[in-house]
Amino acid sequence: MFYRRLLPPLAALLAAGVGLAVGGDALPFSQVVHALANPHARDVAHTILWQLRMPRVLCAALVGSALALAGVQLQGMLRNPLVDPYLIGTSAGAAVAIAVALAFGIGLSFLPALGFLGGLGASLFVAALARRGGGIDATRLILAGVAISALLAASVALLSVLARSISFQLTLQAWLVGSLAGRGWSDLRFAVPYAAVGAIVAIGNIRALDALRIGDVRARGIGLDIERAQWSILGSATLLTAAAVSLAGMVGFVGLIVPHLARRIVGSDARALLPASAFLGAAMAIAADAIARSIIAPRELPLGIVLAFAGIPIFIIIYLRREQRR
Amino acid sequence: MIRAHEVVLQRGGRRVLDGIDFELRSGEFVALLGPNGVGKTTLLRACAGFDIPAAGTIDLEGTPVHRLAVAQRARHIAMLSSDEILADELRVRDVVAIGRFPHRPWWKFSPTEEDERAIANAVTATHIEAYLDRIFTHLSSGEQQRVWIAMALAQGAPLLLLDEPTTHLDVRVAHNVLGLLRERTKMGTSVLCVLHDINEAAAVADRIMLLGCGRMLALAPPVEILASPLLDEAYGIAMHRARTADGRIIVVPAPYHPE
Repeated sequence: MFYRRLLPPLAALLAAGVGLAVGGDALPFSQVVHALANPHARDVAHTILWQLRMPRVLCAALVGSALALAGVQLQGMLRNPLVDPYLIGTSAGAAVAIAVALAFGIGLSFLPALGFLGGLGASLFVAALARRGGGIDATRLILAGVAISALLAASVALLSVLARSISFQLTLQAWLVGSLAGRGWSDLRFAVPYAAVGAIVAIGNIRALDALRIGDVRARGIGLDIERAQWSILGSATLLTAAAVSLAGMVGFVGLIVPHLARRIVGSDARALLPASAFLGAAMAIAADAIARSIIAPRELPLGIVLAFAGIPIFIIIYLRREQRR
Repeated sequence: MIRAHEVVLQRGGRRVLDGIDFELRSGEFVALLGPNGVGKTTLLRACAGFDIPAAGTIDLEGTPVHRLAVAQRARHIAMLSSDEILADELRVRDVVAIGRFPHRPWWKFSPTEEDERAIANAVTATHIEAYLDRIFTHLSSGEQQRVWIAMALAQGAPLLLLDEPTTHLDVRVAHNVLGLLRERTKMGTSVLCVLHDINEAAAVADRIMLLGCGRMLALAPPVEILASPLLDEAYGIAMHRARTADGRIIVVPAPYHPE
């Protein structure tokens, strides 16, 4: 059982190796190793690796692991396998903020920060609607999330209809399908602190997530402060999702399917499940981004589309097939 | 151990119980009886500190239970509710281990020696050694109930609150489960337990608390409760009493009288 816990980190490491090696120009593995070992060298391979690929791989790793960590926590808290980090309105809020910013001609470099704030704001609004007593009601959270997301999606569609400019449509579309095109060190520096806080809070939530597995009332009976745990989980998920959305837009499915795959590999003990989800999410996003960059190079496919085409068949094969056999 | 004074309890803004006054002694087994909807679970939740009484106080050794920090409360009171199903796939061993939750600080992920000892004792007391490595949801209701009790015992709390621990259990398994709880009282654990079977309650409890008509009708040894007309009043039907060969009273509802 224990060796299975090594699989997700190994997958992430392997994906990172592939992610650094492939792209518009496939670098031979020896050059990758050489450039990695000599960070101060000044050749082309070095520039490609350190200025283009490394930040992309790290961005993908952050997006994948943040969404997976957010998803696994929300699924645990709501005890619902269909829950996705976007359920709490983060992505729709970010999309509206981006759409408004584009409509007003605000510079591209501000988009990650605006997306982050929009996502955070929408999630807080959904959480406020889902409040009952001191805590959060699962059904209310799901309903509020779906309702607010639908309203915000309609607002984005409205803006998209009203704005006739092609560049608006294209930039917005890139956000809506999820893409890491053009992301570099500065975007990463913006998102890392929020994701790091979200991840640290997630580590603090491990105990609560384990206790919640026996049901809310029983968890309260063994001394879990349910209200505090719910806000802590929601806060962590919101920060992680907003950080991911600010980098890559709406990258779908990772937050939904990675927790299920991780559960198949390491079981549902939160101590093993959270790190496994983070590594597996990173592996999946890095691999998908590597494909997105290289398959029709020099053009790029949006990350969200590659993830859907590559991730969902894997999910069906590993998860749904095994489910049937049991 | 726990003491309720002039307690008034509400549920959904409606007053359900009034003037609840009792003291549960150390090592005592009190069965909580009363018709559906009378407020048995509400009272149990208030004793567990989940809900705050609308008036009056429930004290645990002098401190109102709802004022205690959640983890501190859980070290003194183990509450086992019956109303939830388990969706997750947990091994029996893990379920029992979750009982150690209030004893572990948030930064500690692995059990201490004391945790291991408490878990081992709880497993032995409930006789669940044989299925420790099985998935909880694959067990029968009786086995599951034993595992829940093992979890509550692992919690190491001197007061056990149980909401209908024998529901869905056959006569033999119910008998064993109650026997196991009775056994714990010898070590000083107090038990307050909601039951539906009057005779089952009479067989196991030191005292029976009878709730009815929005208040506590009686708190007395089983012999007195069973003989009392308050029982008929509480449930709103006529009861017949009979004596067994060994002299115990048993109570059954009067036969049906079709119109």
